[in-house]
Formats: sequence, structure tokens, C-alpha cells
Amino acid sequence: MKKVRGKSIFITVCVAPAVILFIIFMLIPTFNVFKMSLYKWGGYSNNKEFVGLNNFKILAEDSNFFRSFQNTVLLIVCVTIVTMALSLIFAGILSREKIKGQNFFRIVFYIPNILSVVVISAIFSAIYDPNNGLLNSIIGIFRGKEETPILWLGDQKLVIYSLVIAMVWQAIGYYMVMYMASMASVPESLYESANLEGAGKVYQFFTITLPLIWTNIRTTLTFFVISSINISFLIVKALTNGGPDGATEVFLSYMYKQAYTNSSYGYGMAIGVVVFLFSFGLSAVINFVTKREPLEF
Amino acid sequence: MKAKKIVSLLLVATMATSLLAGCGDSKNDAAADNSASTDTAADTAPAETQDTAEAETQDTAEAETQDTAEAEPVEEQTLKVAAFEGGYGADMWSDVVAAFEASHPGVTVELTIDKKIEDVISPAMKAGDYPDVVHLATGREAALTETLTKEKALLPLTDVLEMTVPGEDVKVKDKIIPGFLDTLATNPYGDGVTYYAPMFYSPCGLFYNAGLFKEKGWDVPTTWDEMWALGDTAAAEGIALFTYPTTGYFDAFTYATLSSAGGSDFYNSCMTYEDGIWESENATKVFDLIAKLGEYTEGTTVANANNDNFTKNQQLILDNKAIFCPNGTWLPGEMADAPRADGFEWGFMAIPAVNAGGAGCSFCWFEQMWIPAAAENQDMAKEFVAYMYSDEAAQIFAQSTAIQPITGVSDSLEGDNKMFYSIYDNGATAVMGGFASTAPVEGVNMLDTLCGTVNSIVSGDKTVAEWQAAVEEASDKLREAME
Repeated sequence: MKKVRGKSIFITVCVAPAVILFIIFMLIPTFNVFKMSLYKWGGYSNNKEFVGLNNFKILAEDSNFFRSFQNTVLLIVCVTIVTMALSLIFAGILSREKIKGQNFFRIVFYIPNILSVVVISAIFSAIYDPNNGLLNSIIGIFRGKEETPILWLGDQKLVIYSLVIAMVWQAIGYYMVMYMASMASVPESLYESANLEGAGKVYQFFTITLPLIWTNIRTTLTFFVISSINISFLIVKALTNGGPDGATEVFLSYMYKQAYTNSSYGYGMAIGVVVFLFSFGLSAVINFVTKREPLEF
Repeated sequence: MKAKKIVSLLLVATMATSLLAGCGDSKNDAAADNSASTDTAADTAPAETQDTAEAETQDTAEAETQDTAEAEPVEEQTLKVAAFEGGYGADMWSDVVAAFEASHPGVTVELTIDKKIEDVISPAMKAGDYPDVVHLATGREAALTETLTKEKALLPLTDVLEMTVPGEDVKVKDKIIPGFLDTLATNPYGDGVTYYAPMFYSPCGLFYNAGLFKEKGWDVPTTWDEMWALGDTAAAEGIALFTYPTTGYFDAFTYATLSSAGGSDFYNSCMTYEDGIWESENATKVFDLIAKLGEYTEGTTVANANNDNFTKNQQLILDNKAIFCPNGTWLPGEMADAPRADGFEWGFMAIPAVNAGGAGCSFCWFEQMWIPAAAENQDMAKEFVAYMYSDEAAQIFAQSTAIQPITGVSDSLEGDNKMFYSIYDNGATAVMGGFASTAPVEGVNMLDTLCGTVNSIVSGDKTVAEWQAAVEEASDKLREAME
């Protein structure tokens, strides 16, 4: 009895720091976000005015917010589809095929993940430079130098896709490594028998590899949603700052602008609540939709 | 087994404490650093550990302290000053602080200076720990000054203006150049009460390469008609007429042209969101003017008009790819190390008059100093603000080419700077003050609507009519929030 009690005290003591930190740094701030969204407050003074759901009412009519919503959804969809497809293909090739310089490619694909977003933004603003940029110089070979340059960061219809490219580039390596890890645990015998049956590489990929790493893919889908929302803010902040004229404004950059530069902290928190619910909801939906009976091997 | 437990317990404890250590108050270190840098005045008293009780007694001893500060053995007090480190550098601030300490025995100034001062001071401010004096202009991205204004968290400076400048026998308000205290940039609520003390000013206008004009034999345009003609001539040689660093620079440009189009009363009506003012004939002239300028804007400007790449737009002037660029007098300093075309020479002019025959105009941008209403040591803070207008302080600032609106200070300038500050002597009208402060309106940002949209106008994504309607709509919403 005494030993059991001693053990539970020991466990409590061990767990307590983490729990306390979690409460202080996660639960209370989250609760505060929800609370502040009901106030009109500039962020500094003590004049907090309770306005109920008024912030959400304004939000429902704010066309700038809807624009940032659209941009975010577009980024989530495009970045997820492209990144997932590419990193699955690369992971499939690198783990199943014997190619020269396999490790070299692994490292090369993973490097963007080590770089900070600010560095990535600097790299891409050099790539997208209208006059001396890498992209326009290459395209210029085919179009002729005299054509008006393509404004990757200036054309409002194009600029959001310029961000997609940057985000895909930085995310591929990370997901590739995750998929490779789970592909490595798929037993070799399955592929051997499939080979004997005469199944081609592509067929093997879709019927053996994909179903067997499905749980992993589901997990990464949630990651995609969350990281797209977060990384898009960082990239936007460093690369375009929401410009030109709000064409690349995303959820969090708009929230930041409202909370910190438009002195509407409460309104910013209301946006925060919507982002919170949206990402939570979207992750739940994705989780539900992709639910399959897990395959054993 | 037991040993293992002890080791794990120890590990957990270390982890927990190391995590919490991050939350520790780093203010003490910062204070120590600052005092180290400001201790140049040898006689600084060791007043760092002064507690609030003392500060409060000091508060009550208000008026006497001012006059008798130098005579009696004074109480020691600490003044917390936060200053924005702009293009003028940080050294002038440490020098001024040292001089202030020398002339005010017993006072220790804790100087915090940073290029992003709002990020440094605002966490402490949210926790209720305010600096006593803040030097930070309006119009910064983080808008700390505006936020405090909207929150009514500033101290009125009316009595500072009536104070005698320390060490001199002139009142503060008599030293300041006339006109600087009558604007919305010092009286943000438009009610005649001064909340911001005007500090370093800088005329904004159009920068160009004077060497290029000499080389090509062109005349510097003085009217917009000449401007368009020059635009066509230059276009034939592959040079664009206009570029801009970011759309943020259109605030000064729009303010100046508005004032030029409709006079100062009209300008003030715009800044106080009068109903229908943005759809009036005069405002339309300005919108059309900027739209036409958009047609003459260098093609890649929009793509580089962001925080990362704006210097590429400024570089267009140095490379003779564009002729004019709106900016402030800090531009030559900012581009000092950039490569440039042969024979390059900075030229600077006011914005040509919008109406034929009118005077040119230039927005006069200035930085502001203010005292938070929550400041602890308000009397010494006021003394410090008054001291800023002493000849001693002005000279220290002027050595770093930071020019205060004090009569006669700009006379000491030389070279390029002399040319910049002489713009008003050559007939240009000075335009001052920005939009009136209102209670915060969620989702409405006037400067974003007015200036940010320029990118869309230049790239053809929006029409002038849409732009004008959006500005009027924002103006309507802000008018309701004005008191």
C-alpha cells in the first residue's frame, strides 16, 4: 500500500511541471483569446468594453476578412495537394528504387526545412525579382528579353501562386521524410510477391504502398492544415506583407494587422477564434472523411 | 531503483526551472546595460534602485523641484526614456541624456533605444510598466502611438508648452517654429490640446537625379503639364517618369496634393472625415492625378513595393531608370552605399501645384515625443520634454542632422541637407498633420484604403471610381467613431 502511494506521488511530481506549464501557457491563453473576442479593446489601456458578439457581427460583413479567408483556403488546398503528391512520389522513388546519390537527394530535399522562413523569403524574392530574378531570366530565354517582365509578386492574380510555390518548396522535404519512414516499415515480401504476380511499379505503389501508409497520410493531412495556416503568415509577413493591396492577405496576417496596427485587439481575437474553430473543424472533417479500417501487415 | 528515481526527479526539476527561467524579468539586465552606456556623465547618482514611493513624493513636490532643482541637495530620481532609433543613429540620444543628467543633478535617465522600440517597450506597457517619456512617431507599422492616442492614454502637454526651457528664459512654445503646434500631428483629437511634442522634421517631396537633367538638357518640371510632357520625352528614351518605394509613401504625397488642390481648410476637412469630402471635385483631382501618375510608373515598381524589396525601387532613381520618387530626407542616407549612375547628384523638389498657377507643396513629416498618462515620473518627464527644446539639446541633435522645429536650427546645415530644408524658402507650402484620431474602428484602416490601393490602380486591378468610393466609405465609418 505504502509503495503504491509513494509511486503515485512520484508520478504526480513528475507530471506536475508539464501540466502546470500546459495550463499556464496553453489553456489560459486560449481561454483568454475567446474571452477577449467579446470585448472592444485597443490592447493597452484599461478601457475594455464588453460588446458581446458584436466583433463577430462586424467580421461577417468585412470583405477584407473574406478575402483573407479565401486566400488561406486556396493556400491550404493547393499546398496540401501539390506537396502531398510530390512528396509521396519522391518518397516512393527514394525508398523503393535504387538510384545513385539517394542520400544526396534526401538531404537536398530536406534542406529547405532547416532554413528559417525569413531566409526562404529572401531566396524567393531573389528568384521572383522582375528584372534579374532566376525565373524571369529563364523564361526570358524563350520569350525574348524585350517582353515586359512577369511580375511574380506584383500581379494580383499571380502572386498567391508565387506563395504556393515557396510553401511547397519548403514543405516537401519534411513530409517526404515522414512518408519514407513509414514506407520503410512496409514488408519487402509484399513487393516480392507482387513482382512475381507481374504487377508494375505504379500499380504496386497504389495497391500496396498507399494503403499501408494510410494512417501516416491521415496524420500528415492535419499537419498540412495547421502548418499551412502558420507558415503562410510567416511567408506573407516576410515576402509581401499582404500586398499588393491585400492580394496575399491571409488569416493570421489580417488578424495581426487588426490586433496590432489597427488598435482593435478584441476584433483581432475574434478573428483568432474563427481561425481556431476553422482549423479545428477542418482537421476533424479531414479525419472523419479519411477514416479507413487500418490494414495490418 | 532509488537512485534512478532521484536522478529522474532531479532531471524534471532542472527542466521545470530552466523553462521558468525564460519568464524571468530581463529588465534589470537591460537597465544595467543602458546605465553603462549613459554613465558618461561622471556624476550620475546611483539611483537605479529607487522605489516608487520616492517617485511619488517627487511628484507632489512638483513646481518647486523645477526651479530649485539645482540649488538644494536634490532627491535622486530615475526617468525612463524610450526613444526610437531612426536614421539619425543612437549616439545623439546618449549624448542628450548625458547632458540632461549633467544639468539636472540627482536625475538618472534610463534610456532604452531601439530600431523597433515598440516591440521592446510594449510588453512591459501591457503589464502596466510604462516609460516616462517616449519618442516615437505616428505612422509606424505597429502604430503604438496611434493606439495609445485612440485609447486616450496620453498626457496633455499644454503645460509643457508654457514651461520655461531649462537653462534659458524662453517659453517652450515660443521656441517652436509657428505652425508646428496647430496641426493634427500635435493635437491628434483636433481640439487644440497638444499631446505630441514635435521633434525632428523632414520635408517630403520628389527626389531625382539632378545629374540626369543636366546630361539630357531637360528642365525640372514645375507644373503637372510639364511633368507629363517630360514623362513622354523620357519614355522615348526608355526612362520611366515615376516610381515609389512602397505605397506607404503615398500618405505624404496625397496629403500634399490634397492641400494643394483645395487649400488648408479643405485639407483639414479631409483629415477629419467630413461627409462627402472624398467625392468632392478637389479630391477627384487628386485621385485622377495619382491614377495618371500610375500610367507613368515604372513597370516593375508594384512587384518590388514591399518591405523586402523597396530599395530596388529606390535604386531605379540611382540607375536612371526612373526619374522621380517620393520620399523623405533620409533617402540619401539610406542609399548612401548603393551603386549609382555616373554624374549622379541628388535633386529634391516640392510636389508641383495641382491647380495651374498655385504654389508647390511639400508635406512636412515630423517625429513626435509624448508622455504616457500612466507614466510614474510625470514632472521630470515634462522637464525632459522641455529640455529637448534647449539650444544645448538642439545642437547635439543637429550634429546628427536631426533637425527640430526650433527657429534658426536649420541654418547650421550644409550641403545636400541645406537644399532639402530650404524647400519651403523657395515658395513651397508646408503641409502638416495627418488623419484625426478616432476610436478604433474594426476592419477599417484609412491609410491602407487610401495608399495601399495605389498598387491596384497602377496595375489596373481597380478603377479610380472604386478607389474613391472605398475611401469615402472608410471615411464615413471613421467619422462616426470621432467624438
